[in-house]
Amino acid sequence: MTAMTPSVSTPHLLDPQPNGLLAEVEQAVGTCVGACYQCERCTNACPVAQFMDVKPHQVIRWVQLGRRTQLLQSFTVWVCLSCEMCTTYCPNEVHVAGVINHLRQSAAPAPPAIANDLALFHRRFLDQLRYFGRVNELWLMAAYNTIPSILKQKQHSGRLPTEARLGWTLWRQGRLHLIPQRSAMVRQLHRFLEKETHQ
Amino acid sequence: MNLAFYPGCSLQGVARDYSGSIYAVFRHLGFDLTELADWFCCGASAAHSLDEDLALALPAGNLFLAEKAGRDIVVPCAMCFNRLSHARHILGQEPVHLPWPVKGQAQVHDMTRLLSQPETLARIQSLVKRPLKGLRVVCYYGCQMVRPPRITGFADYENPQTLDLLARATGADVRDWSYKATCCGASIGVSRPEVGNALCLRLVDKARQAGAEAFVVSCPLCQMNLDKLGIEAPSQAMPVFYITELLELALNGRTEPGRFRMHLTDPGALLRGRGF
Repeated sequence: MTAMTPSVSTPHLLDPQPNGLLAEVEQAVGTCVGACYQCERCTNACPVAQFMDVKPHQVIRWVQLGRRTQLLQSFTVWVCLSCEMCTTYCPNEVHVAGVINHLRQSAAPAPPAIANDLALFHRRFLDQLRYFGRVNELWLMAAYNTIPSILKQKQHSGRLPTEARLGWTLWRQGRLHLIPQRSAMVRQLHRFLEKETHQ
Repeated sequence: MNLAFYPGCSLQGVARDYSGSIYAVFRHLGFDLTELADWFCCGASAAHSLDEDLALALPAGNLFLAEKAGRDIVVPCAMCFNRLSHARHILGQEPVHLPWPVKGQAQVHDMTRLLSQPETLARIQSLVKRPLKGLRVVCYYGCQMVRPPRITGFADYENPQTLDLLARATGADVRDWSYKATCCGASIGVSRPEVGNALCLRLVDKARQAGAEAFVVSCPLCQMNLDKLGIEAPSQAMPVFYITELLELALNGRTEPGRFRMHLTDPGALLRGRGF
């Protein structure tokens, strides 16, 4: 195939935008975002499209147009479940889920207020992992649910009784453990993570 | 075949019962199942979402442990399977900077695919003591086990069969349906229960339309999400079995006492009604 023949694997069919979002995403995800012709198959396949403010096909279009700020402030990148329906059904092999995941990683340092709870859950999960190398559900739920903003949100939505019942049932069934298990490899992991942050 | 069992965090916590039934079934089939020593979390969706380096370093570390032990990994959890397979895929493609000298040689087996290989399946069929005749089920795979196919190796990702084959081997009446691999919401239910429950209730609805009275799953998170409808929406909930629970029941004729005690949607009435 010559350079003149367009193909779904030819990166970057569109002109670069000033902020370089398209090139950055294509390079990081290894996919050709320019190949999208807005057939909306991704959005039709997505199980949570109804909860998204920017639908998956629009995310791809916005990347093409360089709308970085709007994308990083969207609820979409946080409600996406990475179930990869979109990627699997894209006729042009655009890795839609990969693009959204890349945007989520970019948005993580300053998530929008509307998605703060979702970002906090992921962060508490990683904290657990850093301490123990494994995740203990009791510690994770305790760490997450005692964040003042989360507790307040659950009080307002009336979720507390249901969640207390769920937690109590799991505890009674012996499925939650007070003492977290630790992987013996966790020290090596710490050394690696320290190096990463110093770089 | 030398297998290292990678239980993942769930199977040591809320899905403890799943772990019990897995050991029971593997013992019955004569497989040696040794837990991978010192394993750590695969990173799940949190590492995948926030930290790309960690999302590779964690599963790669587990591959390293398996390599050192000279064993292949068998994984029951769909998410762990996905992350470990993903790491193996990356290791085979490009040089990466990692805290462990890992080559990515250890194979990563999804537990259901391992058990549904023709010889093993034939053995299961020949060992069934008590066919679960008349138990109408649908098999639910979830997303992480089958997608993306280039990583998971599931060529039949639209209509996967591993759980169907195993459930059919127990003698259950396995119904066909179109929502085998539609996401259950994973961990989103923790912060957004309305989203998680909407997805799960749709699955229940579609399963009922297919004539099912129970789900069969292999992913502990899918099980939790569907099973917890017993507390969130009791009038609509449907029992959710791990595939190994049904296998144990069919192979042994009975399960260990209290095996189903940890279900949130009690399958007791259903099982008694069918005489199991």
